[in-house]
Amino acid sequence: MIHVDITESVLDPLAALEHCSSDAHGAADLFIGRVRNLNDGRSVTAVSYDLHPQLCRNIFNEICTEALAQWGEAINVYLVHRQGRLDVGEASVITAVSSGHRDDSFKACRYLIEQMKVRAPIWKQEHYTDGDSEWIKGHALRTSD
Amino acid sequence: MNQSINVRLFGAFRQGNPESSLTVEIPAGGRVTDLRQAMDSALPSDNARSLLKASAFATDSAVLDDNDVVPDGEISILPPVCGG
Repeated sequence: MIHVDITESVLDPLAALEHCSSDAHGAADLFIGRVRNLNDGRSVTAVSYDLHPQLCRNIFNEICTEALAQWGEAINVYLVHRQGRLDVGEASVITAVSSGHRDDSFKACRYLIEQMKVRAPIWKQEHYTDGDSEWIKGHALRTSD
Repeated sequence: MNQSINVRLFGAFRQGNPESSLTVEIPAGGRVTDLRQAMDSALPSDNARSLLKASAFATDSAVLDDNDVVPDGEISILPPVCGG
């Protein structure tokens, strides 16, 4: 069972665990990505997330479908990303997986976050204590030169 | 004959572009390479043109290859991504 979303609301880890719950599943993994107060030596106060909502949902679904294909159709997967301006400490993304055994949950949960970071059309602009802001360099989606 | 393409801007392309989209002209039936060339002429700064080289174009459902014919409807330009 797959759940993906984009939201401006505060992320709820309990909702992720509720989705990733089954009497047949002996393992559940939860990953929370949070806004850090330091990046490349600069003091960060907040991060603004810009994203392409429709394409993002499509890519999230693709990634989750791949996880089911690799670790079994019976696993539950959850992938939700926040958009808008977030303060330091706020959760920007949650991935979660439940499965029969822990090995599949660990691996699938890591797969979700790693693939999301390099494939989902999401961009972040860091805001610093000195008042400056900067768009962060990322992974190119362009496949040809 | 030309066709007008409305290109939605994201991430660093929004910097200095409050409109968040640009309209460019490409030959009818043109490919993404034509769109890339048109964007190169339309973008306002060297930084934006440099970012264009690493950027992809996409519909609402898929990322396009440079050889793809530009489909009807809205197109987005996607600079390198960094979610999470």
